Amino acid sequence: MVATNAIADVRSRYLSAQLAGDRRRALEILRESSQANGLTATQVQLEVIQEAQREIGQLWQENRISIAQEHMATAISKLALAQTFQAAPSAAPNGRRVLVACVEGETHDLPPQIAADTLDLAGFEVRFLGANVPTDSLLAMIDEVAPEVLALSCTMVFNVPALAETVRRVRARPGARLPILVGGYALGWLPKLATSVGADGFGSDALALLAEARRVLGMGDV
Amino acid sequence: MSEVPELFERASRELAFTCDASGVVTWADARAQRLLSLLPGTRFDLHAAPGTEAKIARFLLAAAAGEERGWELALVVDGKPATATFSAAPHQGGAAFLGSLVPEDYFAAVEQVASAMAEIVTLNRDTARQKKVIEQRHLEVVSLNRSLEDSMRAVKTMHAELEDRAGALRRSVDVRGRVVSNVSHEFRTPLHAMLGLSKLLLDEADGPLTGEQRKQITFIRQGAEQLSQIVNDLLDLSKIEAGKEILRSEKFAVSELLGALRGMLAPLAEPGSGVRLVFDTPPEDFLLETDRAKVSQVMRNLISNALKFTQQGEIRISASRVAGGLTRLVVRDTGLGIAPGDHERVFEEFEQIAGSQQGGVRGTGLGLPISRRIATLLSGTLTLESELGQGAAFTLTLPLIHPEVQEMAALTRRSKSADPTRKPVLVVEDDRKTMFVYERYLEVGGFQVIPARTVDEAREALTRVRPAAIMLDIMLEQESTWAFLAELKRNPDTAEIPILVITIINKAHKARALGADEFWLKPINKDRLLRKLSSLSPPGATTRVLSIDDDAAARYLIRKHLSGSEFYLMEASTGPEGIRLAQDLLPHVIFLDFLLQDETAFDVLDELKSDPRTRAIPVIVATAYDLDEEQMARLSRLTEAIIPKQNLTRELAINRIRDALGAAGLSVRGASGG
Repeated sequence: MVATNAIADVRSRYLSAQLAGDRRRALEILRESSQANGLTATQVQLEVIQEAQREIGQLWQENRISIAQEHMATAISKLALAQTFQAAPSAAPNGRRVLVACVEGETHDLPPQIAADTLDLAGFEVRFLGANVPTDSLLAMIDEVAPEVLALSCTMVFNVPALAETVRRVRARPGARLPILVGGYALGWLPKLATSVGADGFGSDALALLAEARRVLGMGDV
Repeated sequence: MSEVPELFERASRELAFTCDASGVVTWADARAQRLLSLLPGTRFDLHAAPGTEAKIARFLLAAAAGEERGWELALVVDGKPATATFSAAPHQGGAAFLGSLVPEDYFAAVEQVASAMAEIVTLNRDTARQKKVIEQRHLEVVSLNRSLEDSMRAVKTMHAELEDRAGALRRSVDVRGRVVSNVSHEFRTPLHAMLGLSKLLLDEADGPLTGEQRKQITFIRQGAEQLSQIVNDLLDLSKIEAGKEILRSEKFAVSELLGALRGMLAPLAEPGSGVRLVFDTPPEDFLLETDRAKVSQVMRNLISNALKFTQQGEIRISASRVAGGLTRLVVRDTGLGIAPGDHERVFEEFEQIAGSQQGGVRGTGLGLPISRRIATLLSGTLTLESELGQGAAFTLTLPLIHPEVQEMAALTRRSKSADPTRKPVLVVEDDRKTMFVYERYLEVGGFQVIPARTVDEAREALTRVRPAAIMLDIMLEQESTWAFLAELKRNPDTAEIPILVITIINKAHKARALGADEFWLKPINKDRLLRKLSSLSPPGATTRVLSIDDDAAARYLIRKHLSGSEFYLMEASTGPEGIRLAQDLLPHVIFLDFLLQDETAFDVLDELKSDPRTRAIPVIVATAYDLDEEQMARLSRLTEAIIPKQNLTRELAINRIRDALGAAGLSVRGASGG
């Protein structure tokens, strides 16, 4: 197990590389940390990258960084996630298909990206649609991809109505009932929200979402 | 000048306004009102972009407390996003703000870059995913390979087991063949007694029989005859199966074969029986060279079969020559015919097609299987064309000349054109197959086979060549070779040739007593044979000496002188024969008699010197005549030495040969002789 302060150290070094716009060093720090400090892919995704992004948001709120800096830092984090995904060991394909998307209006695609990667590495066949997916497009994609589970991401509280509307419209589709999981920062504040919008499960983070996906598919604990 | 302030008004993105402590706008300049819709009395934070309300609240608090600079705020104006940077200072309990709108395309560009970046990363991720899939597939392929290897091993094991079983089966077939052969022989004796005794009884040699007795004895006799036929067929079959059947090839015309068959079988088709036996005369007669008795046996089988199953009509026998050096002999009947589904079954042992179409005819069920096996033995095929009720046509297709005969002829041809680099070995053996095996063995060892299938052929060969060794089979088909062995060892000319007796019966003592150098039982081991032959004769190529003399006594003398030496002697009794041998075998030295039957040494020498192949061969002239000066001078130009015959000794002969070889730039080959 990697000590919490070791992770915090990696995170702060990663964050300063991000803010300095030094993407090479940022990626190198992550590579080194997983090799030398033994950080798992999940720890890098959730405890380094995602937490660093949260701090970036905070720094912007406090007007300590500009919008341009925030964009730059986010771009580096996306690259870092891709690198982590590539280096991580992946389980054998289990043949179960999951569709992951941000609800309409939601621009924060980094958290669902982590969820998509986690599912993918666990053997799921994942289709990730990215940020701000218009609900009409989402419905069309459900028909095309025919997933066994739908995972929706909602970071900003003001997008919760859009989430509820999306769930309602997916449920209104003819045919078999598609299990819907929800996740995101917005739902973390209101624990009952997931049930009240009509979702089948809630994942407070990517690992929790993975467990929920296995549960609704009746795959048991692995 | 009035245009200038107007332009500033239109182009400027700078704006100013004030708020009270609760964030309500108290004053706004024209640009603040136009660009941000900030009207006095409205709340500033209503313009915050979703999710940024907290940042505006923080800014307002900070501005009321002290001067602030460079705050970037995300706003929404008339439903469109806008970004502005603000400075602020405390003002009347609230704050005064100075803002500057950031050009929209600047942020649009940043957004574009960010989304392009996101797309590239997505693309990269897809590549990574595909790579993982490929790796996964690779692992699957590797594991598939491994399981294929496993099944391969299983197949091999299975194959080995099958081999074992096939071996066991072959052994049991062998045993069965031996049992059949032994039992059949055991049957024959009592059967012959039954046949003989019943004949005696029927001839009433021991007194008359009553009608009933005659009938009973006739049944007994018919039964014995049938049994005897079965036993004979079985013996034939087991002989062929065991590969013991020996091919006796001879040359004969197809017309002779058909004539003999007609003579033999015509009586079987009695006039008035409703069946005619027709022998078509072939359009042109042609020769066959194969086992005549076996061809005849097959044809007899086919014709008597046809007679059995034909009630009415004709049986037509025809022969023709077909492309590829083959002949086709056809027996066509108008009998019951055989359904196509049964065609192969009639060639199986003890198979007879059941049912009424048989017409109650019975046979041993071995005629056709035997015929087909004989056809195979003759390198031919036996095929059937028939429909039920349409008659049948059996066709025997054979090579005009049996392949073994052809091979044997080729082997004999090869042995005639001696290969100077190989030492000749005379092989006396009547079985062609064994001969071919020996030829292959000896070829590897650098020997040349001189084949002889009879003692006469062996004698004939010995007049042509002096072999390095003789391999002798004691049990030839027609004769035993004990006497020949004794003869070879008694004759001083051949006594020194090592003889290897190779046969199937163990008579080592007798062979040794008669002078055999070695006695071996068949089958022989190739390496052992080659080792023995090499030890019996000196290794390497020998020096060949050709002796041309019309006088048998003189040839004998030279042979005697050179026997046991390193020289290999060839002989010719006339000039033309000598020249031919010289051209074919390229001897190293020629011993030439001065006066031959119809010519002198000059005629022979002229021939030899005019041929580039023989020009360089040194010649030693032996003469019994006194030569005149001119003859001597001419002869010395053409030859290496002239020896008076009366002076010829072993030493002189050998030394002159060596001198001649030395003069020709050759040294004596092989180990030096005595």
